[in-house]
Amino acid sequence: MSRRLLIVEDDTDTRDFIAKGFGEEGYVVEVASDGREGLYHATDGGFDAIVLDRMLPGLDGLSLIKSLRAAGLKTPVLMLTAMSAVDERVKGLRGGADDYLVKPFSFQELHARIEALLRRPQESEETATLSCRDLEMDLLTRKVTRSGREITLTPREFQILEFFLRRKNRVISRTMLLEGVWDYHFDPNTNVVDVHISKLRRQLDEDGADPMIETVRGAGYMVSDG
Amino acid sequence: MARLSLSFHNARTRLVLASMVLSTLLTATVLAMVYVTANRTISGETRSVVSAELTGLADEYERLGLIGLMTAIERRLPGASERDAVYLLTDRAGNRLAGNLTGWPEDITAGSGWVDLSLRKVDTDDLVPISAASVRLPRGERLLVGRDALARLQFDRVLLRSVALALAAAFALSLLTGWLLTRLVFSRLKDIADTADDIVSGDLSHRMPIRGTGDEFDQVAGTLNNMLDRIEELISNLRTTSNSIAHDLRSPLSRLRQRVEALAEPGKTDQEREVDTTRATVEIDHLLRVLSQLTEISRAEAGLGREQFEPVNLQQLVGDVVELYEPVATDQGIRLEVTGIAEPIQGHRPLLSQALSNLLENAMRYAPKGTAITIALTEDGPHTRLSVRDRGPGVPEADLPRLQLPFVTLDPARTERNAGLGLALVAAISHMHGGKFLARNRKPGLETTIELAKTS
Repeated sequence: MSRRLLIVEDDTDTRDFIAKGFGEEGYVVEVASDGREGLYHATDGGFDAIVLDRMLPGLDGLSLIKSLRAAGLKTPVLMLTAMSAVDERVKGLRGGADDYLVKPFSFQELHARIEALLRRPQESEETATLSCRDLEMDLLTRKVTRSGREITLTPREFQILEFFLRRKNRVISRTMLLEGVWDYHFDPNTNVVDVHISKLRRQLDEDGADPMIETVRGAGYMVSDG
Repeated sequence: MARLSLSFHNARTRLVLASMVLSTLLTATVLAMVYVTANRTISGETRSVVSAELTGLADEYERLGLIGLMTAIERRLPGASERDAVYLLTDRAGNRLAGNLTGWPEDITAGSGWVDLSLRKVDTDDLVPISAASVRLPRGERLLVGRDALARLQFDRVLLRSVALALAAAFALSLLTGWLLTRLVFSRLKDIADTADDIVSGDLSHRMPIRGTGDEFDQVAGTLNNMLDRIEELISNLRTTSNSIAHDLRSPLSRLRQRVEALAEPGKTDQEREVDTTRATVEIDHLLRVLSQLTEISRAEAGLGREQFEPVNLQQLVGDVVELYEPVATDQGIRLEVTGIAEPIQGHRPLLSQALSNLLENAMRYAPKGTAITIALTEDGPHTRLSVRDRGPGVPEADLPRLQLPFVTLDPARTERNAGLGLALVAAISHMHGGKFLARNRKPGLETTIELAKTS
């Protein structure tokens, strides 16, 4: 069954760009151009995810989310915002958005984030083990093995690996890692994330062959079954 | 500015008029009181003299009889020290027996108290105004003693004229003082308004004139000048910043233009085009980063986000940021040391993390291989300080104050990803937390510090 996505965005170009992209990815897309229309569609239900602009005529994004959550709707919401300020992002997340993305963004990034949102409920937090190919991760004993060989990871490395395995086969951007693992909402100038990843890689791929974490050029990283 | 001066005139006219009316009213009241009091005193004295005389004459009548009284009256008449004294003694029927008045007035009953009336004098036969008191003597004769009121009326007229003159003088004086006073006030106001006009027309360097008297006008002018200093400083900062923005955005934009033009060149392979696209994207990302940093700075300077303050454990915050940068530092051969402890403060956790991360990145840019960067937490009076010290070359003393200005990079080899906004943001975040950004040379190395107000 194809996924249903609601896009609430007043800017026609952005709306069409997103709608076209998700259409090509096989989503059933519905659009709304202002806050009230968006709320009407959203409460109508049946959507798997909502892409919501922060600034909307009629009813702004934050108020819309509040109304949705007050009505008991748990549909995951990704908020689009032109405001990159850290406290604005944090406000959006605390206001009930599940994720946010700063304009301008690449469709790739938006797609990756929506996929990540949609996967959340399927892999519940209670899962005791995660695995990918020959890698196994026991979340209770915090033991990681690859082809039976035990790998010692620092708590942070463990967290990064868990983040990847919970979002298998999805592109994970550096920003997503910074937010998801470190809870940082700013963009460091240096390649901090890359260094952490390469450190983790050295642990995971001791034998050199078949890297567990692939680099996706211009987008980030991915751990895949393939 | 004609409208301004016109309205001054209106205000001035109103003030002068008001002061005039007030002081004239005041003077008039005082003069009226003087007039009434003077009148009362004079007529009171006259009455007591007249009634004493009346009593004295009645006594004479008692002692010496009618003839004695008549003699006494006649005696008094020629040598009347007060020439305006009048007497009249009549028999029961009202026929004159003695005195300088012709006959008893018809409508006056003897003994009816103090009266004002007109009677004819015997010598001149003129009808004169008289104030008098009368008495009926025991055997039916009637005695009237009074004073010619003409003198009184004349005095009254003189008094009134003086009062009117005084009023006129007061009126003129109040007009003059009002005009002078308002001229004083309005000339000072006009100075201020003229200076304001000069400033409006674009020259911010003008200042309100101060006369050095230390009066209220000088105080107002001083306050306005302080305000102008601050505004000029802010505007000049703003000007510098916007010039820098224009300048700093020009180079990436022209590079971007070149990339896009290169992209459009015919006969390129897909791979070459992809390289062009990637380069263009890099430029765009740089521009976006600069813009979002600028937004971040102005938001922090405006104190937006204060409502998201929460208790922040600084040791933990430092530990987390250090943990993030540790691998990069290790790669560069730099050690990260953490010292000191501090009580939790009220703060914006994400922004504080970002501030520390900026300081750390800055230090790592200059720290020589094999050295340590020290991150220290200290408490000092009302402030908690979070400082980052490298062992690099430091910064020329003269440049220290410029560090926190936007778009200032002291590194001539400015890297693509460093627009010189990092420390400006740190400074803005310090301000937001009730502190300052501090920088000093520690020889070796630079120490940058975020000062944060302790939780009160």
